[in-house]
Amino acid sequence: MAVPSRDLGRRAFLARMGVLGAAAAVPALAAPLAAPSAAASPNLLPPLVGLLRPVLAELARDTISGLVVMVCPGPDAYSKAQGTPRPEPGALEARGADFMLDALDHFVPFPDQLATPLAAALTTAVDDIGLPPPGLLGPLYPTVWSLDRVLQELLENDETLPLSLVVALLLNVVATQVNPLALNGPFLSPFARLTLDEKCRAFELLEGPDADLVALLDSGLPEPLRSSISGLLRFLAGALLEFSAFGSYNEWGVYDGASRRLTERPVGWELSGYQPDGVVDGWDDFLGYYEGRTEVEA
Amino acid sequence: MRDVIVIGAGGGGPVVAKELAARGLDVLILEAGPRHADPDREWTHYENDANNPLTGFLRFGPADREAPAWYRETPQNSFIWQLSGVGGTTQHYFGNCPRAYPGVFAGYDGADRDLYDTSHPFPFAYEELVPYFEWVEATLPVQTAAMGTKEQVFFRGCEGIGLQVQTTKTTTEDSFRPQENAILQPGGFAGRVTGRDDPRLRYPSATGCTFCGYCMQGCSKPAGAPRNLAAKRSTDNSYVPMALTATSWAAGGRAAELIADAVVTRIHSEERGGETVATGVTWRDGASGETRREDARVVVLAAGCTESPRLWLNSRLPNPNDWVGRGYTDHFFDWVIGLFDDDTGSSRGAASAARADFPGRGGMENVGLPPGLQQFAAVFSDSGIRGHYSNGRGPTGPWDGAAGRMIGPELKDALMNGVDRLLNILCITDDDVEAQNRVTLSALPADEHGPVPKVSFHQRQRSARTLRNREFVARRAAETLRAAGARKVVRVDWPPLLLHVQSSMRMGLSEADSVLDAHAEARWVKRLFVADNSALANSLGGPNPTLTAQALATRTAEKIFSTYFGGDPWVGSESPVVSTDARVTEALLTRT
Repeated sequence: MAVPSRDLGRRAFLARMGVLGAAAAVPALAAPLAAPSAAASPNLLPPLVGLLRPVLAELARDTISGLVVMVCPGPDAYSKAQGTPRPEPGALEARGADFMLDALDHFVPFPDQLATPLAAALTTAVDDIGLPPPGLLGPLYPTVWSLDRVLQELLENDETLPLSLVVALLLNVVATQVNPLALNGPFLSPFARLTLDEKCRAFELLEGPDADLVALLDSGLPEPLRSSISGLLRFLAGALLEFSAFGSYNEWGVYDGASRRLTERPVGWELSGYQPDGVVDGWDDFLGYYEGRTEVEA
Repeated sequence: MRDVIVIGAGGGGPVVAKELAARGLDVLILEAGPRHADPDREWTHYENDANNPLTGFLRFGPADREAPAWYRETPQNSFIWQLSGVGGTTQHYFGNCPRAYPGVFAGYDGADRDLYDTSHPFPFAYEELVPYFEWVEATLPVQTAAMGTKEQVFFRGCEGIGLQVQTTKTTTEDSFRPQENAILQPGGFAGRVTGRDDPRLRYPSATGCTFCGYCMQGCSKPAGAPRNLAAKRSTDNSYVPMALTATSWAAGGRAAELIADAVVTRIHSEERGGETVATGVTWRDGASGETRREDARVVVLAAGCTESPRLWLNSRLPNPNDWVGRGYTDHFFDWVIGLFDDDTGSSRGAASAARADFPGRGGMENVGLPPGLQQFAAVFSDSGIRGHYSNGRGPTGPWDGAAGRMIGPELKDALMNGVDRLLNILCITDDDVEAQNRVTLSALPADEHGPVPKVSFHQRQRSARTLRNREFVARRAAETLRAAGARKVVRVDWPPLLLHVQSSMRMGLSEADSVLDAHAEARWVKRLFVADNSALANSLGGPNPTLTAQALATRTAEKIFSTYFGGDPWVGSESPVVSTDARVTEALLTRT
């Protein structure tokens, strides 16, 4: 049987965002999706959205885990996959992924107003990019349109659509541009499957001064959102790495806000030798005054 | 009807408030963020708890930390580091108080006069501002910084590249020196004891800077000190306490009123005799959500370089030359990191107590940071990822490899070398005022205070002079680190980090490219003055802007007093009271 080309496009798009692979990993989701006629019924979409949501949350966590080990590799599987395993604790031990998920989802007080058009742009822009369909996912192709509709439902109608998910989908799309083989492998996220060098190339695509990707995403949006979304993408390309570094090396993961104390020594402090005996009221480091001058003339 | 309403209790507004309260005027200060009246209870020394831009107690947001931070649109790789709250951005500043270079003022005729931004000078001479510099230096007070290990390392580097030592407050040639800073010098056991909960580090056994290393997290040390004796002279420790206690230390003074968690949403104006005149403000009470209105004879706008133009535009005030929000300068910072084999003391002591200046080019200073911010700074780049891609830039020079962000094993190894075995140098460019860098109103959703600002910086389109100056300073920074003994030097090539922000409501000689006249009064709205960094005419030649903004705000207070309240100027004819004066201390203790 010939596979309709439009179907191939949708399937490639879902696979590249990591959604198809994630959905396939959840039998409960695959079953209703196997009945396209039922899933096509609008009143059956809400329960499918409910099934898809936690899968996408896992996909986002997987992707962001692959991100934070870029700045602080450790003994975890993600660091190993990117080719830089380290014996001492890293970003995941410091809860850097949790920090980033939390930060992204609270970055703007109006998440749906940024995330939804961004997601819409993403789905529009990558729809017809020519990547070969993932061979291993062949048996799922009749379900693609159902899954696509469920995803669209989620992206377009969820007032609390997390920015972390949209960022994860974006990173995964770019990951498959860098390395089409990232469509298959360990983890839910194609981005998390890349080597460190490939992840860097993904960021090169994101933050390039004339990034084709930004132009692609931008073209599907009306003004004035168009420039705002491309501007946000340029901001994010830098911020994703900067804040992964900030969050993976500071005390966030072990701070108890109620008592305003640390529950254990932060990973970043241990790695860097910062404050060997905890916070201080002062240091014995006063060495006097340069050339003995305590004041100068006008 | 108030005499004066001051919008914003950051680095500039409290200066006007204190000066005019001392003259007996009825002054109301409205601050959008929290009061932080009890830092011992409200603050910690943790960098995420303090500095997280979304949730930290020193973030840019409302008093309720559970509520979202205020979003500002930045359509490029950049970072706005603005703070709300009483003290504004001075809550986390490093207290550095160099004077502006003489070359950025009108009438300068030194041999190097053509090296500066000659298109955008201050509309008066350097000599005119000197008495105001002196007044502020005495009030804060500004003192010669004490030296710690990281200053010693920095000085070693400066000596190694053959720089001269500067021993005056006015900078005239390439030179280095301890910072002239607004941090009280250590006394008693301060700086001589390492410890926590050690009674020797409590006031009064310790006075001034205890070298605790937490300048970025707000200063409340020495523990137990009255607020006006906290080591770092952020305005919440200096000018605000003086404004609130003016009756106690100024003959005929009248205590200013401060309302925090109060966002001004509109400046009112009316037509009078063919002129537009400011008449008062409306503000929103953050706790109740209610709006209130109050009239005043004079309104002082001091909300900061991003928020002042936003409020102007949201108030629909006149903007005939379209320069409101334009000319935003940021000292086009860069960051160079040296890795050493020996102790540099980077995380100890005042965050930056040493500097070097290059008139006509800019300057540089050492900076110590805690690990999270250290890594943030090392990853904040417009040159891609070192060893992987250059993003079209990646300049090479006396640093190792191409400029760019470190990442992966290289980044981790750099920090594991020891946060106290590295030294950072912040490169501060003498950058041109450029109309293209600006604040406008965003098309993204408005908040409860109206349309939000959009801050656009054209990183790669700066003037040839700005670009040349930045390269010069970055090279000097790398050479200094080498001379100090660094075995590896990394240049990061920062994108715009909006921290030394200036000039977005600039005063100027020409009506064509300025918003304020030479008195800092708005050209098209009488009785409306601007008293924050946005009023500065240019980037000062590179020196940190707080002192100059405060000197200018002092001068502006005099202009307000003489123009609209029939009084005489006082700077030059009277002696300033220092903010650590016992009468201020006593009055603060009485209030609480």
